[in-house]
Amino acid sequence: MGNLLEIKNLNVQFDIFGAHVQAVRGVSFELNVGETLAIVGESGSGKSVTSKAIMGLIPNPPGKITSGEIFFDGSDLVKYSQKQMQKIRGKDISMIFQDPMTALNPTMKIGKQIMEGLIKHQNLSKNEAKTKAAELLKLVGIPNPDKRLDEYPHQFSGGMRQRVVIAIALACNPKILIADEPTTALDVTIQAQILDLMRDIQKKTGTAIILITHDLGVVANLAQRVAVMYGGKIVETGTLEEIFYNPKHPYTWGLLSSMPKLHAKTDKLLAIPGTPPDLSDPPKGCPFAPRCPHAMKVCVDHMPDYTKLSATQKTACWLLDERAPKVDPPATIGVGGE
Amino acid sequence: MGRYVLKRIGYMFATLYVVITLTFLSMKLLPGTPFKNANRLSPVQLNQLKHFYGLDQPIPVQYVKYMWNFIHGDMGGSFQFGMQPVSQLLMAKFPVSLDLGFEAIIVGTLLGILLGIVAGLHRGKALDWGTMAVSIFGISIPSFIFAGILQYLFGVQVRWFPVAGWSGFASHVLPVISLAVYVLALVARFMRSEMVEVMSQDYIVTAEAKGLSTSAVVFKHAVRNALIPVITILGPLTAMIITGSLVVEEIFGIPGIGAQFVDSVVTNDYPMIMGTTELYAALFIITMLIVDILYGIIDPRIRLSEGGQS
Repeated sequence: MGNLLEIKNLNVQFDIFGAHVQAVRGVSFELNVGETLAIVGESGSGKSVTSKAIMGLIPNPPGKITSGEIFFDGSDLVKYSQKQMQKIRGKDISMIFQDPMTALNPTMKIGKQIMEGLIKHQNLSKNEAKTKAAELLKLVGIPNPDKRLDEYPHQFSGGMRQRVVIAIALACNPKILIADEPTTALDVTIQAQILDLMRDIQKKTGTAIILITHDLGVVANLAQRVAVMYGGKIVETGTLEEIFYNPKHPYTWGLLSSMPKLHAKTDKLLAIPGTPPDLSDPPKGCPFAPRCPHAMKVCVDHMPDYTKLSATQKTACWLLDERAPKVDPPATIGVGGE
Repeated sequence: MGRYVLKRIGYMFATLYVVITLTFLSMKLLPGTPFKNANRLSPVQLNQLKHFYGLDQPIPVQYVKYMWNFIHGDMGGSFQFGMQPVSQLLMAKFPVSLDLGFEAIIVGTLLGILLGIVAGLHRGKALDWGTMAVSIFGISIPSFIFAGILQYLFGVQVRWFPVAGWSGFASHVLPVISLAVYVLALVARFMRSEMVEVMSQDYIVTAEAKGLSTSAVVFKHAVRNALIPVITILGPLTAMIITGSLVVEEIFGIPGIGAQFVDSVVTNDYPMIMGTTELYAALFIITMLIVDILYGIIDPRIRLSEGGQS
């Protein structure tokens, strides 16, 4: 397995009302061919901004990539011009969006919306593109594809629209599919269908997926590797098993604890008290320190380095330092049912 | 869609009927008589005249008579022009006003849309500020001021275009520009704010994520959606420009219907007042219908939700 995408020390900043909001602060990770990497974290942790940076879709102004590299196919996408990025977007890297109700153009037939990318990237004729679009609709499980190509988005339900959005993203057989909260806006039953569809498509096409979500249930369903983001940084990364059964970062513990469980003894939902840090004035030390039940003096003043726990798992936490007191993860993180 | 249009046409006639009735009644409240030097006429002469024009009958009778004739295509004769049929007089002058109005609307709308797109895409930059500053001037300065300035600069000073008249392309330029400035300014403002709004929508990001070029994103995805609210103002605006061209017609000596309308009100030329008002009302109502149909063509959501019943 080779690295398809490698992100090194990415920093993204937004200049809003005179403040410099550092949404992403030194994020590094890699994505292998055909795998699914989940980036999890709560709102404002920088996960969506990271995905937009990969697509070259950070609105500038106010946002810009201040430093770092995004290697795809051996070249650094950060240095690419908009024109060059237009050749990558939708062809090699494409994206599924959170809200299918607003992600489609209301005044354009969905067939045309799917065909646009095909005509642009694969030089297909209109008729060829139409045939391919119908195939794509069939692939994402929309019945009567030929008829539905001529319909408008408002004639589709939310789940069906998300299927259309996925069809648009898949049109040119992308090597990387970025799914930004693909199920958040959908009903629970539809969520399961869309997740099944994505797994199915990955099996058929072999595309790698970056799954951006705050829903650990979705992560458990789809991902092989997980990166946990907090305050614009990746605080812990590892395989699915490592993150769910052997998490080392107190924030990961908090996330796992706050997942509702079927067999819980109390009917109380556990939450992580406090709010994420203000990234216009980011903390010097660990961003999670103010909310961390195990925070020490050092946490506030110095950002911990990553501790390698295995070939695949690394965690940025002072608790893993040999001088730190031994802290056991809370009992509440037990993954439901097991 | 067909049923929707039929329903709308039905409403159109109802509206026209209400307009005719209200105009008829309020016109009868106008002071004075249609007759010049009425105070020098003897009561007998006055009564004879009134009888001749049917004005001695009670107002309800006059109203019913007028409506009866109107339905049968007879709008009466103009008092000022020796009982020439009103319809003939209107048709002689109306095309000129219509021509002027539509030229101004088309020029103003197209340029306004273009400027609005440019300003909206460069929000907060010099191009945006410049366009919007021009637009504020266009909205706040009345057309007759522009008319005067244009006449002086291009008609008197550099003599590119005739100062007045209505024959040939060159004579159209100045009056059309004076009228179009307001349209342009208003449409540009609307288009700009719609572009700003539309460009921040999720489906624009979807289009960008497909790798489309900036011009494809703007013209295929953004403009059509931004046009929907702009079309809404085009209806009232068209009616306003066509009816409001009166002053500009006067300044440029254009043989339109505006001046005639004012004369007919001043001289209590009842059939002429009625005729002109009916014409304006019909024009306004038809414009609104066209705008609604256009709306349906541009926005599929409206087309289908209305057409679903038929």
